[in-house]
Amino acid sequence: MTEHLPALVFLTPLATAISMPVAGHRHPAVCRPLALVAICCMTVLSVASLWSVSVHGEIRYSFSGWLPPIGIEWLADSLAATMVTAVSGLGVLCLLFADGLGDRPLGGRAVPYYTMVLLLVAGLSGAIYAGDLFNIFVFLEVVSLSAYALVAVPGGRALVSAFRYLLMGALGTAFYLLGVGYFYAATGALNIADLSQRLPGLLDSKAVMGGLIFMFIGLAIKMALMPLHGWLPDAYSDAPASTVPLLAGLVTKISLLVWARILYWVMRPSAEGGTLTIFALVTTFGILAAVAGACLALRQRELKRMFAYGGISHVGLVLIGVGQANETGLAGAMYYLLNDAVMQCSLFVLAGFLALRYGASTLDELGRAHVRNPWAIVTFVAVGLGMVGLPPTGGFFGKLRILLGALEADNNIAAAAIVLTTLITLGYFAQVFEKLVRAGTESASARQPETPWPLRTTMAALVAAIVGLGIWNDHVVALLVDATAPLGI
Amino acid sequence: MLELIEAALSRPNLVAFVLLLLWGLYITITHHNYVKKLVGLYIVQTSVIFFLVTTGAKEGATVPVILSGVEAPGAGDYVNPLPQVLTLTAIVVQIATLGVSLGLVSRIYRSFGSLDEDEVLEKLG
Repeated sequence: MTEHLPALVFLTPLATAISMPVAGHRHPAVCRPLALVAICCMTVLSVASLWSVSVHGEIRYSFSGWLPPIGIEWLADSLAATMVTAVSGLGVLCLLFADGLGDRPLGGRAVPYYTMVLLLVAGLSGAIYAGDLFNIFVFLEVVSLSAYALVAVPGGRALVSAFRYLLMGALGTAFYLLGVGYFYAATGALNIADLSQRLPGLLDSKAVMGGLIFMFIGLAIKMALMPLHGWLPDAYSDAPASTVPLLAGLVTKISLLVWARILYWVMRPSAEGGTLTIFALVTTFGILAAVAGACLALRQRELKRMFAYGGISHVGLVLIGVGQANETGLAGAMYYLLNDAVMQCSLFVLAGFLALRYGASTLDELGRAHVRNPWAIVTFVAVGLGMVGLPPTGGFFGKLRILLGALEADNNIAAAAIVLTTLITLGYFAQVFEKLVRAGTESASARQPETPWPLRTTMAALVAAIVGLGIWNDHVVALLVDATAPLGI
Repeated sequence: MLELIEAALSRPNLVAFVLLLLWGLYITITHHNYVKKLVGLYIVQTSVIFFLVTTGAKEGATVPVILSGVEAPGAGDYVNPLPQVLTLTAIVVQIATLGVSLGLVSRIYRSFGSLDEDEVLEKLG
């Protein structure tokens, strides 16, 4: 039974998404509870698969019994199982948040909206599990298409942002597919395990290196790596407040995970060919994105845009870890990726909450709003500590491990960039914090709206996740190292 | 330089692929009309699909269906079917992208009464 868990985790949201138009045809009101139940079931299943993977070892699932390289294989190692648990858990929280926020009512559009949300989550879990490069392409496209549609929901300005996102994203997937084509032409294989056996000896070939670079460009657009990040701030500041946490927390992270899979599981760091050059390139782009993203965040006056640039800078931090070609850096980067998903989600939950409840979407408006909501302030303190990187949050331990990885690889510039990013991040979070808690001239008895329970649950769970990931960081990292151990790096 | 040109001319499929890709990218970047941008995007995606198909082609080979009575079929006699299968999926993905993008463009037109990027941005202020 347990060996079918990865497929069940994926099929639960997919089947619900497909049956949503039928179920919601007469009564659109059932869509929201139905979606919530489906993602809750998915969370339970993914926790079960995480438990099964950590006890019995990785699951290699072959669809309808066709074994790879002919059949389609899903690889559920402890890295994939952890990430899927994070995806489904954050999915539940985002739906709860949307429930409590009482965003503009969707009316007759509830059916397509929740179908898209479920397809997004299903696509994410598929892209995490997929064991070959072509299926990763298909699932990335499922994720992206749902994301474009979700960004466009409010209409008006969001339509233009969504269209730009679509143009960039579709070019990104085209480049990724081109890279996959190069790999196939050079090796005749698409399965990750198969490729990793055929590639040694071929890494000098121009086709393999070209393919790798095309894949990097494609995924860099999708992960909003610094010079290619143009679509992200607009898309995130115009998308509906209840959807952005889902997009910001999960969609860009998936491309980072895929890129780590390609670098370590497909290619493996070795001295052959231009491999080390690729790793050095990844580190360089990571450094640029981390520092420049943080500097741009410092300049923003609008909360959502500031958090979006903060996310761009954190993509750079993860890439620095990935580019170190050692186990400390990789495990640190994957652990930080997990934390970053939770932190980005919390940041946009906060931004949406402040914008809809207090009408505060810029720093100045925030200073005038006199937010006296303990839930929002506690969440902000926790996520601020995490983003800056102070203990006991997961952000601190993640950054520490990436830093240790950089020092292990004698990469002092990368180590300096991590410290510099931390300082700049402290700069922009101090600004927000000052505005948030500044004592108002009016009395604090000004009307403070009641916080509904779904919002309180979401914020409490996110704070618990940020702190919990930090406190039990040894266990989480041990799980992730389990997945990287067979690579022998 | 001459060797490079010679190498390129011996693989006309790759030349065609590169031309299509660059042409599509050029249209996407330079045109200000949303539909024309989509045409460029479509050409880029088609060029990638074209590249995938040509990797499976062989001179003098036939469709990959083994007829009864043929003993010991050789791999050289048949076209590689896998790139074509990948292509089918890629075309489906391409059509889905086109559908979503045309939906977006039609809503942009209904909201702003224009398909020109400059005019739309002007109206947004």
